[in-house]
Amino acid sequence: MNFKKLFISLLFIFFLSFLNAQEYKLGKVSIAELEQKEHPKDLSAVAAILFKKGEVRFDYSDDKGFEMVTEVKTRIKIYKKDGYEWANRIVRYYIGGSDKESVSFSDAVTYNLVAGKIEKTKLKNDGEFDEKINKLWGQKKISMPNIKEGSVIEFQYTLRSPLIGSIDDWQFQTTIPVNYSEYITYVPEYYIYNPNYKGVIFPKVTVEKNNKFITINSKERVSNSHVTSTSFSSDKIDFVETKTTHLAENMPAMKEESYINNIANYLSSVSYELSIIKYPNKPLKTYSTDWETVTKKIYDYDDFGPELNKTGYFENDITAVINGLTVRDEIIAAIFNYVKSSIKWDGYYSYGCNDGVKTAYKNKTGNVAEINLMLTSMLRFAGISANPVLVSTRSNGIALFPSRNAFNYVIAAVEIENDLILLDATEKYALPNILPVRDLNWYGRLIRKDGTSAQVDLMPKLVSKEVNNLSFSINKDNAIEGKIRKQLTDYEALEFRQNSVALNKEVYLEGLETANNNIEVSDYVRDNDLDLSKPIVETYSFKDNNHIEIINDKMYISPLLFLTAKENPFKQEKREYPVDFSYPNQEKININIDIPEGYKVETLPTALNIATGDDIGTFKYMIGTTDNKIQITETFTMNVAIVPSDYYEVIKDFYQKIIDKQNEKIVLVKI
Amino acid sequence: MRKLYAMKRILYTFFLLLITPTVFSQKEQFPTATISDSLKQNANAVVRLLQTDITITSQRNMTITTKRVVTILNEKGLSAIDAMEHYDNKTSVKSIEATVYDSFGNEIKHIKRKDFRDQSMISGGTLFSDSRYIFLDYTPTQYPFTILYESEKNTSNTAIIPTWMPLNDYFLSIEKTILNVTFPQNLGFKKKEINFNNFQIKKLIDFPTQISYSGNNFMAQKIEEFNTEKTNILPKLMMGLEVFNLEGVDGTAKNWNEYGKWFYENILSNTTELPAETKTKILALVGSETDPIEKAKKVYNYVQQKTRYVSIQVGIGGFKPMLAKDVDRLGYGDCKALSNYTRALLEVVGVQSFYTELYGSPYKMDIQEDFFSIQGNHAILTIPNGDKYIGLECTSQVAPFGYQANFTDDRNVIIIKPDGGEIIKTKNYQDKDNAQNSVGKYEIDAMGNFSGSISINSEGSQYDKKSQIENMSPTDQETHYKEYWANINSLKIEKKSFVNNKSKVIFTENLEISANNYGSISGNKMLIVVNAFNPFNSIIKRIRNRKTPFEIQRGYIDSDEISIDLPQNYYIESLPKSVEFSSKFGEYKAEYIKQNDKKIIYKRTMFIKKGIYLNTQYEEYRLFIEQISRNDNAKIVLTKNQ
Repeated sequence: MNFKKLFISLLFIFFLSFLNAQEYKLGKVSIAELEQKEHPKDLSAVAAILFKKGEVRFDYSDDKGFEMVTEVKTRIKIYKKDGYEWANRIVRYYIGGSDKESVSFSDAVTYNLVAGKIEKTKLKNDGEFDEKINKLWGQKKISMPNIKEGSVIEFQYTLRSPLIGSIDDWQFQTTIPVNYSEYITYVPEYYIYNPNYKGVIFPKVTVEKNNKFITINSKERVSNSHVTSTSFSSDKIDFVETKTTHLAENMPAMKEESYINNIANYLSSVSYELSIIKYPNKPLKTYSTDWETVTKKIYDYDDFGPELNKTGYFENDITAVINGLTVRDEIIAAIFNYVKSSIKWDGYYSYGCNDGVKTAYKNKTGNVAEINLMLTSMLRFAGISANPVLVSTRSNGIALFPSRNAFNYVIAAVEIENDLILLDATEKYALPNILPVRDLNWYGRLIRKDGTSAQVDLMPKLVSKEVNNLSFSINKDNAIEGKIRKQLTDYEALEFRQNSVALNKEVYLEGLETANNNIEVSDYVRDNDLDLSKPIVETYSFKDNNHIEIINDKMYISPLLFLTAKENPFKQEKREYPVDFSYPNQEKININIDIPEGYKVETLPTALNIATGDDIGTFKYMIGTTDNKIQITETFTMNVAIVPSDYYEVIKDFYQKIIDKQNEKIVLVKI
Repeated sequence: MRKLYAMKRILYTFFLLLITPTVFSQKEQFPTATISDSLKQNANAVVRLLQTDITITSQRNMTITTKRVVTILNEKGLSAIDAMEHYDNKTSVKSIEATVYDSFGNEIKHIKRKDFRDQSMISGGTLFSDSRYIFLDYTPTQYPFTILYESEKNTSNTAIIPTWMPLNDYFLSIEKTILNVTFPQNLGFKKKEINFNNFQIKKLIDFPTQISYSGNNFMAQKIEEFNTEKTNILPKLMMGLEVFNLEGVDGTAKNWNEYGKWFYENILSNTTELPAETKTKILALVGSETDPIEKAKKVYNYVQQKTRYVSIQVGIGGFKPMLAKDVDRLGYGDCKALSNYTRALLEVVGVQSFYTELYGSPYKMDIQEDFFSIQGNHAILTIPNGDKYIGLECTSQVAPFGYQANFTDDRNVIIIKPDGGEIIKTKNYQDKDNAQNSVGKYEIDAMGNFSGSISINSEGSQYDKKSQIENMSPTDQETHYKEYWANINSLKIEKKSFVNNKSKVIFTENLEISANNYGSISGNKMLIVVNAFNPFNSIIKRIRNRKTPFEIQRGYIDSDEISIDLPQNYYIESLPKSVEFSSKFGEYKAEYIKQNDKKIIYKRTMFIKKGIYLNTQYEEYRLFIEQISRNDNAKIVLTKNQ
């Protein structure tokens, strides 16, 4: 290599990196960006974030102290009409309480290529809207002008917030590709924040420390008997600032899949929560350094621990409720049922009380915390060792890193010999250890009276069951007539009760018929709708025209009738996220078929016994004949609630084999 | 001020008490036990009393007070509390409160205004709206319970008198309802009674300044599949004024013609001004074209390229379109703004077009021809074409020129002409024009594996849904086909391509697909469902004692011609018999033609007619569909060569 060439390539490299550096500044949209017709790595993308840069700083002023300022600059490319919604942007801000947030947009410009030239259209006031949503939140919206396929838009917004307890989520990933996402936080030494990373892909993080200073202006009035003088002083205070840079490049678009808990759990993002404040010459304040501190902190909140320890509002009633009961489980059940039936949930999630337990008890309605903290203290009053358990619901995401925001809900737990009984009295069909599905989300955190805490596995281990007993025969009109008895336990029963118990009977039956391929249902009886200790039991007679076919002198019968699974729920070729069944379950089907007179068996499906391995799922199908009857027993078991995505292929294939087997026919032939 | 207001209210109350029929005394109680069994049947909630008092004192002042007592029988009935009021800068909520009673009629709780929630109207597509609503968010502590809700609203918008429709939901019954309306004689009050026949409604007063109705014992209605829209079967009273105020603008209109003239002169006037630059551009675009429809096509295409739909409902934004020059600069607007912008551009190139108001929805809803009042929810643009009209949906960036199916088709709309309004009927898509024609083939191998290809052409109302596939992402397209062909398990899409012919309005899908185990093997037999590509799988719910008529809103015709290659080492044991049957609902035909031992041609036609049918004909319809579904499931039986 000669020198000249080296020089040129060096220059080229320099030039390239220079270009790169330029690219991430607002106002420097290139013709190449405008000419681009589709995203080079994702041809289906309707739009892409070319870059998104965020900076969080702490500005000091004499009257407000430190204020958090978040500045975000974004450049978005619109490829297709379906991507036009990316030209609208909403930023919410908090206006509840005395400390209000504010948002301002700036540098909002649409770029188009018109006859080879860049045309700029600025956003004017009439494209910006400010709206008060309710007493807690306001929002600012912009709608960019002059959007076409191919447009590039840019805007910047600044959110000023006096609330420094946590730093909002920064999402490196979204439903369109993100080419470059940079997020920098500048935090003065007085604050220590803990990060909470989510997602499958993590950003590159670099940390550096810099020396900074602030100037504090103060004035002092000195007066003696004659003169009042005001002296101004100005102090320069040095501190160390930590600059944390997060960088993620070429993030693919997120895609929804079925059987997913909450897609936000898998989206690449970071948020921060304040863990320590250490102002000069003041004692250290800790917030959320580890799970122990987090739980202790929550316990100390006025609307948590003190509410839990309140007494003097329920004692007489509870004494009456447990009067005469001596067995522990009976006492637990009595109190649990008392709370469920007398205090109704208002639909709000929180681990903090709103009106407080006493008011909730009086009004017979409360939020999650009021109901379950009240339940805990009632159990304690009755001598049961009960404690609250902090939970992050499915909609809130998985609590991976220690932070107070990781939780949004609280339930109760009774500690028994090396085990726990979990209770959530917000759901009227819940039972001890049968929680509403929203609670079933990895781990919770139990807080004891002394403030110590322990991790609690929330995922059910118990296998919920569905058992179907069918017997049927073929009538003279070649239709199938039979009887079924279906029994549902535990979570299967909970979900049934939630969906169906309140339904008008006629509406339920019509739905039942439609859901089962339009069978005709009669003599319908259902037991134990409200007796939660017993399984739901449905029995009815049915008529089914759809699962039998007479071709020439043969009868073709799909023996599982309307219980046959018709299609595989797993359709995607690949899967990135775990498959979430919510709880382990087992489905059993026992069938008894009368062979009609004048017919004999020509072929029967063969038996099948398969398993996924690693004790995840098993399936057993047995078939046999005795005299003039055919018997089938089928057992499907899914032993776990969550299956890692590595097993996707296996699970999909397992389901397909089951479906193929269920669709196999019995062939009867005329004698 | 406050005192004055209180005085005024006392006067009103006094006035109302004097002249309006009130049935319940001051100490009213609503114990649940007194509800008759017939009212509880199929009901999740029972309205014990709904009294609406509308007092119009002038062209610019209307007060609406509502008193609603409803017993909620179970949690499915919660929405019947319906304690909610909208307001904006022309409408204020003067008072709003509620009291909750237990099933014996004892008071549980009183809810004051401050305990109601106040929220802005944010819906999916709305970018900005200055209207808000106050609503009650109550958590019941027991069932049944009764809630007494009272509100008073005042507005200057006298053009919109709320329609009286006491029975406005399914699974809800009404014990008693009263409507009192008072109005000055000179404002031209008018009303129209709709669907009163099957309900106990009495007209108590019909004076030049006052009307009053009462209704008793409206039974709960069940949702039944293929229901005609509830507004077409449930009783309602539409009301309007000839002298009114709309969002601060005074108006006078006796009929649609006069309304159109007023709207044109007062609302649409001075909205079509455009920058000279844009005019030059649009004139250049049209060039030497002389045919008005061809010109309009070019302009429509220009609008589709330039603009996007964004909802803006501010102030008179609910009625007055944004200025054309603003749309020109911003490149977006709502349905009114975009329709009027297109009108402005067409004006530049000398093509006449009319701003058009209508009720846009998949269910065809007419503007009441013989009764003028504010009725629409959407705007399009209409271009006269000889004695016909072309309707342009200006909010869509992809719709073909003049395409109206499934949202604005076959209904009465009001077109605003300079000399007055006129009701016209929009384009009707005939049953046989809503066609899907498929030609394809597939083969089954000895293992029952499937591989095939098909070309599907969709037209008319069927074009709409199909053409959306083109704009889906590849993953969504794959998901779509796996659901569309859910009858073929483990489906793989080998190849796909689309042709969207917008000028002819035909969408073509070309697909190559494969799947394992399509043929189901039992012993030495293989069963193949012949209709792999287009089986009719929808199930029509069985309804015992259907009460309401049913409606098929749009007919269609599907035809398929598929050639099938059978595996070598099997012979045909049986082939389904060709069938043909018809009913008042449509026709079905399936032919199975054996070309040779290994090749079959399958031809199928399914034709469904639009129509309104009696409740008693529903079972016949269900059976007709079931028969189709069964025939679509017909199988070839193959036996292995020994």
